[in-house]
Amino acid sequence: MILYDYILSPECYTARLMAALLGKRFEQVAVDFHPGAEHRGAAFRQVNPAGRIPVLVDGPLTLTEPAAILNHLVADAPEWLGQGPLVQEWLARATHLAASLGGARAHEMLGQPGDLDRLQADGIMWLRILEAALTEARINGHAFLTGPAPTIADIAVFPHVALAPDGGVSLDDYPAIRLWLRAVRSLAGFIEMPGIHRLHDLSPEPNNEIGGDPVVASA
Amino acid sequence: MTRDIVNEWFPVAIAALLPTAPGRETLLLGQAIRITGVDGAPVVETLDGRKLPVKIAYGHVWTSLGEPGEIFPLPEATQPGRRLVDVGSVRVKCSPLRAVENFLDIAHFPFVHTDILGSEPHTEVYRYEVQIRDEIDEVWATKVRFYQPQAAKSAEGGTEIEYMYRVPHPTCSVLYKTSPPRPGEWDVITLFVQPLTEELCEVWPWMALFDDETSMAELIHFQQMIFMQDRSILENQLPRKLPLDPGMETPTRADMTSIAYRRWLKRNGISYGAQLVAA
Amino acid sequence: MPNWVPAALSADLSIATAMPAKTPLGELAIWRGGSGRVSAFHDRCPHRGMRLSHGFVRGEMLSCIYHGWRYDGTGQCRKIPAHPDLVPPAAVRAGRLACVEQGGLIWVAAEGTETAPPEVGGVLPLRSIAVERPIAEVAAALGIDGLMGKVSLPGCKEALTLALLDAQGRTVLHALMPEADAATRIAASRALEALRRGLETETTEAAQ
Repeated sequence: MILYDYILSPECYTARLMAALLGKRFEQVAVDFHPGAEHRGAAFRQVNPAGRIPVLVDGPLTLTEPAAILNHLVADAPEWLGQGPLVQEWLARATHLAASLGGARAHEMLGQPGDLDRLQADGIMWLRILEAALTEARINGHAFLTGPAPTIADIAVFPHVALAPDGGVSLDDYPAIRLWLRAVRSLAGFIEMPGIHRLHDLSPEPNNEIGGDPVVASA
Repeated sequence: MTRDIVNEWFPVAIAALLPTAPGRETLLLGQAIRITGVDGAPVVETLDGRKLPVKIAYGHVWTSLGEPGEIFPLPEATQPGRRLVDVGSVRVKCSPLRAVENFLDIAHFPFVHTDILGSEPHTEVYRYEVQIRDEIDEVWATKVRFYQPQAAKSAEGGTEIEYMYRVPHPTCSVLYKTSPPRPGEWDVITLFVQPLTEELCEVWPWMALFDDETSMAELIHFQQMIFMQDRSILENQLPRKLPLDPGMETPTRADMTSIAYRRWLKRNGISYGAQLVAA
Repeated sequence: MPNWVPAALSADLSIATAMPAKTPLGELAIWRGGSGRVSAFHDRCPHRGMRLSHGFVRGEMLSCIYHGWRYDGTGQCRKIPAHPDLVPPAAVRAGRLACVEQGGLIWVAAEGTETAPPEVGGVLPLRSIAVERPIAEVAAALGIDGLMGKVSLPGCKEALTLALLDAQGRTVLHALMPEADAATRIAASRALEALRRGLETETTEAAQ
């Protein structure tokens, strides 16, 4: 398998993250998306005539849509497919999150054109929808979008939400989203991308001289 | 000895990627300007039509709102055998001075560039040397050593890396770093910062490396990855401007380069992007 | 100066995590140690000004994400990783506020506040929801005088207890309700969504 990859692309990260969670490896071909706009050049259009990344090539198969790439990566791990129509619903909603929050991020970070106010307002609308869904999941005792275990829906949505602050959209108002982001980041095999820091609290204290805090005071 | 920020050269475009007509609008020190490639040469002007001086250096188009002198020297830029890497710009909501100060800092490597430029438990910053070199009006930090798990795209495994840092310009810094494939030589990594306003900047990293193995796109990705890890820090420092008054923040011996940089800014009368009194 | 302020719902701050909160007392980092104890600091590391709410918790210490400076529950800096052998001077402290958990809410007040926060009883946290309107408008629309009140919402069997947080020009409603089954709680959560739509639409229309 070959992934045509850009390190700062949330959609490319979706593919890298899913593969990492499954313990799968692929050959990564770095595409100079910014500043070189290599994805719009003639050579890259041989790979994907639409001039978009990511592209996953597996033998005769070429996939360019994140949802299809996720489906393909989990072909031998069907527990990630989840059950019921909500998985498909969230895979499709991920494209709206990509357009709104991802558009705001591309504008704020890389200077790409776009109506920032509109992109941010749309992004906030989708974050509120996600927050409401995750609140209901929590009430049902579920840590993930469509049930007790993560599915490709969580992985499709996660990058755009986690990177929302890059586009000037704060996540402070969304407690259920904050808990869910942490649940995804705590999954075995999780990898970061730039803009998402390591959860250092999951690694042990490097030395032992400070154990507990003898001072107890709060109010 | 003071410098007027208006007379400095600032990067505004990659020389090899000039914006085609009608050009690209941007800000410099709060002033709206436009950069256009005309017959392969950059034209920079204010939006009210004033032509600005232009210089091509170190992969970038530089301009100035005032009367600039010579640009700072960077002899490694023409040294044979180096790969010159145009990393591309990233916009950051912070003071241009905060962006430079973060570039001079090594103590954050284990926490922000985890398992790449640093990792616990190797967090100690050993004593190093810092000077303000009056004769060339630059800040230099030398004999800086730090343990790195993966110091560069070309590096395999962890190693102790030596650095030198140099500030020749209020918003530009140059890092010299042990070259893994070429012991005895220094890789050059720069941070050129275009101040859009006092609290917003465009950062143009650029590199001159000894590395014949790694693809250009991979070199670009590596440096963009490193800088984007810093960006979420820079956008969350309070206040956004760089405090120059001692007492507003708490430096330690590990911050000697930043202390010297702040002192050098003050001595040069640079206040653009700086917070001078406690908020 | 307000006295006690409801910063967050207890249930929204897990063990060994930190969260941000905008309050009339400033922007805060609220965190819970491994033992469950909550603390509130000004959201700014004294070293280089980084927001402490981005930090990480190990044991009973909050560490700044930037350089790993580590603070105990009193705000005292206990470790500077760049100088592992250094005992940080007593003057290196994060600004601390009074912080207690009471009735499913995390309350904050200026350090040294002697009084206790308001009593809240018989309810459990439901959810917090931010409204893009100033607190005075929201309180007036809900008929709430002061920090807390009860409201009955359409489609919601139980009255909700709402604690209002003035989040610097916006309002966060912390909703609590008596113990109920999942369907009732989900209906209440949806009623809050509808309430927010109403509050944000009404005021927008009134302004036009």
